[in-house]
Amino acid sequence: MNPIFEEIKDAIVDGDEDLAIELAEKVVEEKIDPVQAVQLGFIKGIEEVGAAWTNGEAFLPDVMMAADAMKAGMDVLEAVLAAGEGEGTYEDKGKIVLGTVEGDIHDIGKNIVGALLTSAGFKVYDIGIDQKAEDFVAKADEVGAKIIAASSLLTTTMKSQKVLVEYLDDQNLRDTYKVIIGGGPTSKKWGEDIGADGWAETADEAVALCKQLLE
Amino acid sequence: MLPKFDILTDEQIDKIHNNSLKILQEIGVEFSYDPAIEVFKKHGQRVEGHRVFLDSDFVKKMVEKAPAQFTLHARNPEHNLICGGENIIYMPGYGAPFVYDADGGKRDATMADYDNFVKLAGASKNLHMTGGTVVEPTDVEDEIRHLKMAYSHIINSDKCFMGSSSGYEHAKDCIELTAVLHGGLDVIKEKPALICLVNSVTPLKYDDRMLGGLMAYAEAGQPMVIASLVMAGSTGPATLAGAMSLQNAEVLAGITLTQCINPGTPVVYGCTSALTDMSTGSLSIGNPENALFVSASAQFARFYGVPCRGGGGLSDAKTVDAQAGYESMMTLFAASSTGVNFVMHTAGILQYYMAMSYEKFMVDDEIAGMVLRYLKGFDCDSDEKMAYEVIEKVGPGGHFLTQKHTRKNFKTEFFRPALSDRQSFDSWSKDSLDTKQRAKLKWQEVLASYTPPELDPVIKEKVEAFIEKRSKELLK
Ligand code: B12
Repeated sequence: MNPIFEEIKDAIVDGDEDLAIELAEKVVEEKIDPVQAVQLGFIKGIEEVGAAWTNGEAFLPDVMMAADAMKAGMDVLEAVLAAGEGEGTYEDKGKIVLGTVEGDIHDIGKNIVGALLTSAGFKVYDIGIDQKAEDFVAKADEVGAKIIAASSLLTTTMKSQKVLVEYLDDQNLRDTYKVIIGGGPTSKKWGEDIGADGWAETADEAVALCKQLLE
Repeated sequence: MLPKFDILTDEQIDKIHNNSLKILQEIGVEFSYDPAIEVFKKHGQRVEGHRVFLDSDFVKKMVEKAPAQFTLHARNPEHNLICGGENIIYMPGYGAPFVYDADGGKRDATMADYDNFVKLAGASKNLHMTGGTVVEPTDVEDEIRHLKMAYSHIINSDKCFMGSSSGYEHAKDCIELTAVLHGGLDVIKEKPALICLVNSVTPLKYDDRMLGGLMAYAEAGQPMVIASLVMAGSTGPATLAGAMSLQNAEVLAGITLTQCINPGTPVVYGCTSALTDMSTGSLSIGNPENALFVSASAQFARFYGVPCRGGGGLSDAKTVDAQAGYESMMTLFAASSTGVNFVMHTAGILQYYMAMSYEKFMVDDEIAGMVLRYLKGFDCDSDEKMAYEVIEKVGPGGHFLTQKHTRKNFKTEFFRPALSDRQSFDSWSKDSLDTKQRAKLKWQEVLASYTPPELDPVIKEKVEAFIEKRSKELLK
């Protein structure tokens, strides 16, 4: 096995974004098999962090920095992977557009959800805070996402989650995407009331929910 | 009153203070609201886009203009409050969207809950104000929530209360409504009667809504709490000294803006900084680090010569259990004994500001009573209090139960619990009620027997007319 795969794994476990990029660039330059780099390097690393997280040994900075490093390295490999280079293929578990709804600027919870989804193998497109329904949908359309995930932390902005579902209805796109919602003041009942496809109380549950929706 | 103790050395104060000034001068603070940018430009501060770099001497000069204390006026002058100095003001929790019931149920807070908490605060001996946004009344349209909430405070109690700060317009409504209650805008400009909460957006930002509110209160000469909530580890550094420097910089920037708009406007230095739970990312408030932030803030407020807000009956517990009790006692005690003047969230909070609980409210009310007693300290001012004579009279081997001195003094010297159980095991075991069960009976009893103080019918009519007119306009 090429020793670089082990180095990539370690870079992810250490949450070293710069090193992850550097190693990914080396993979491209030296024409090392990118699929193997992903499977034996990036994924191995993030799985190790994920397992430590599940056991309560890893904490948020460990997981979030590992997710950032993984994302940065994978971005470098994107072109060669898309060109079908390497043995076999690598495909993400599904694309998810994530953001905080209009009028709301809380983003800690959203960022955690994004990191855990990334570490679970999903490709997450984080569009940021204070985002309109149109912005979620435009991004989902652009990247071919299957899930739209909207966060809201205020009772006064929760209605923007409803607006999102209604917007999809109006555009006849309701069946194209799964919509999931979350954030402090939201509830399972609220999710049901507005016709979302799912709600989760924590980031871990959000991962389980996405896995279940894309089965 | 007990002397308030310091937790930072002069050297530590100096280091954090200078760190904050450096942050303000070199990193700067982002103000998204254009009128605020104009104010800073007019005062000669360096502005790039929406980022303002505040000169250290300028900050010091402006902060000095804020008064060390001020009086907040209630519709019943007996409830006027001095904010600052040795004084301490307690009030209910602020902003929670949920109510947790005694049986473990969770539900959205409503306007009926709102009225109930205002009444409980009105009835309490230990809470000095009825607070503001005592829960989020989720069954009221947000366009007119601020009016309904203010009305609840006006009608259900004659103590001081807080107004909305969410945007210039809502803030103005609350100020004008308070003016109707007190006899005019010029009256409350002389005698401030409404206070609000303005929060920075950590790290190093102030948003439009909050700044709109800030401008409205500053223009009307009404006091405001300028607070920062650093979640150490996520929205701020994981070191206490770093998080405190960041909080301090944000609060100083906010106070500076108020003093530019209206020099001498009363402000309160606010701290809600706490920790991020590194396993879940959630805010955690019932901990020693939070108590340290609050105590350090009280000391910084003294250093800058302004009153301080911080602390409360703060807990991460989901129900009224031992955790709820010990966390709340720690955070209220620390705030109160180190010199915080204005304690939002004194009573009712569960799960890091997410929920209010009636039972928790009664438990915290009891804690507040205990802490207030502690703060009174020893009274050594008279021979009567020194009790030499009665000790002489009883002599060796006697007892004091039948002494006049005892009968007269125990009522004022001893704190009388309203909730705690001091019975024998046998008496207690007749119903075997735990604290939560007793608290439930207690709040129901208090609400059932509470009669809100009457409001002059002429004023009441004017207040209602104002609300009706504004509601129509806002709901159009
Ligand atoms: C930190 C904080 C802020 C910071 C935000 C900084 C930032 N960069 O995010 C600042 C100071 C800027 C802020 C501002 C305001 N805040 Co604030 N804030 C909080 C606080 C204390 C913590 C929020 C947080 O980050 N929690 C930690 C994260 C990890 O939890 P979480 O977001 O719930 O996320 C978890 C789950 O919900 C879930 N999840 C989250 N998103 C999603 C999305 C999907 C799709 C899924 C499946 C799951 C999911 O997974 C996450 C991880 O487990 C809460 C109170 C609280 N305890 O929650 C108040 C709170 C939310 N804020 C409140 C308010 C009122 C405000 C302000 C209006 C002003 C004010 N009074 O403070 C402004 C509004 C600004 C705006 N326009 O949005 C109220 C809301 C009440 C209400 N009406 O609903 C709260 C409840 C506090 C209170 N009791 O007053 N706030």
